Amino acid sequence: MRRLRTAMALLAAAAVLPPSAVAAPGLSASVDRTAISTQLGRSFEFHSTITNGGPDTARGLVAHLSVLSLREDPYVDPEDWAPQRVVFLDPIAPGGSRTLRWRMTAVNAGTFGVYVTVLAQDPRDRPAPNTPTVDLRVAQRRTLNSGGILPIALAVPGLLGALTVAVRLRRRE
Amino acid sequence: MRASTAAAATHERQGAPGWVVVLARELHDLWIGGRGLLLCLAFSILVSTIAYLAATNEALNFLEQREALNLVVQVGMIVGALLTLLAGADAISGERERGTLESLLVTPVSRRQLVAAKLLAALSLWLAAYAVLVPYAWFLARDLGVVGTTLAASFVVGTLLAACFAALGLVVSLLATSNRVSLSVSLFALLALLAPTQLPGGAKQGWFADALLHVNPATAGEHFVNRVIISASGWDQELGWLVSPLVATALLSAGALLLAGRMRLGGGTGG
Repeated sequence: MRRLRTAMALLAAAAVLPPSAVAAPGLSASVDRTAISTQLGRSFEFHSTITNGGPDTARGLVAHLSVLSLREDPYVDPEDWAPQRVVFLDPIAPGGSRTLRWRMTAVNAGTFGVYVTVLAQDPRDRPAPNTPTVDLRVAQRRTLNSGGILPIALAVPGLLGALTVAVRLRRRE
Repeated sequence: MRASTAAAATHERQGAPGWVVVLARELHDLWIGGRGLLLCLAFSILVSTIAYLAATNEALNFLEQREALNLVVQVGMIVGALLTLLAGADAISGERERGTLESLLVTPVSRRQLVAAKLLAALSLWLAAYAVLVPYAWFLARDLGVVGTTLAASFVVGTLLAACFAALGLVVSLLATSNRVSLSVSLFALLALLAPTQLPGGAKQGWFADALLHVNPATAGEHFVNRVIISASGWDQELGWLVSPLVATALLSAGALLLAGRMRLGGGTGG
């Protein structure tokens, strides 16, 4: 009796819940690497490949790059990381694939997850596959260089100021 | 141009080309007179401030060093071009208001030579500004190994923009009825040309925005330097961005020389 109730409850839940985000048959997404280590401020790139292993041409697909911090800090603003994060894909024939290059800049230090989601323009048609998450480690790097630039920042105006005064004094004489 | 009139007449008789004499006097007035040195001093203080902030400010610390270098170079180029624009905008209308244009026009130097000499004198401000910029660019670029590229790109683009804006200032100065109008219109034109550089990245996409960026010499020059310094692109890949600064410089310089032949004492041009 308990099993019957459980089965009924599951059936009822399945009837009201939306379809789970299972990839469309044959459609898959992958990345060329799953770990990237870089330094703050450096640019890097990786490739994702969307493959259509199904019998029909895949149309109306949109690839979207996501980046999130795997710690509470820092806050991630994806626009800072990649100027182009959305690509509208041309139709992919059965057995065909499309490789995208994603260029990013590390604007925060920390541990991040980067992945690409493939969405359909009509979400009822084709649920979304995700790529595996790229484990991104960004090391802190300090570019502060006050000791280096300060002599130049002071010397150049100082020399020009002295030259200006000298020329003016000479003119008076 | 206080002593230019007599000097031009004397040297013309001695066989020196008139424009050389006028240029020599313009350079003397500009650099020995003190205005050029003062402008360079102000320029160096500005570049020092920007360079120090880019190298030391915590908020800017995330910047790739190439971006800090690019920021300093871009500021240097734009302000250098601004100096030449102001010199060009003051060149004719300023002489007119100071009452020295009449005596200059009666010298045995053609009006086109006068304008050409003033254009070259204005350009000397950019050359001095570039010389001031070199130590900052060298310091910020040396760790990146892009000293040569940075100095070459900023010199080429900066010289084109400086010549373009100096010629623009001269054209406006030839046409304007007063020095105030000349300076105001020239500054407005400069700001209008620079405004697209402040557009967010998304607004620069699409064929129209792309065409606008290519046609506008200021944005095209800025984009060229961006690509060469930040993206480490080769010059051959980005040469297309130099077309509009080159064409604008040629057209405005030719326009200034053409208008010079029709220069009138009271302002504007006549037949």
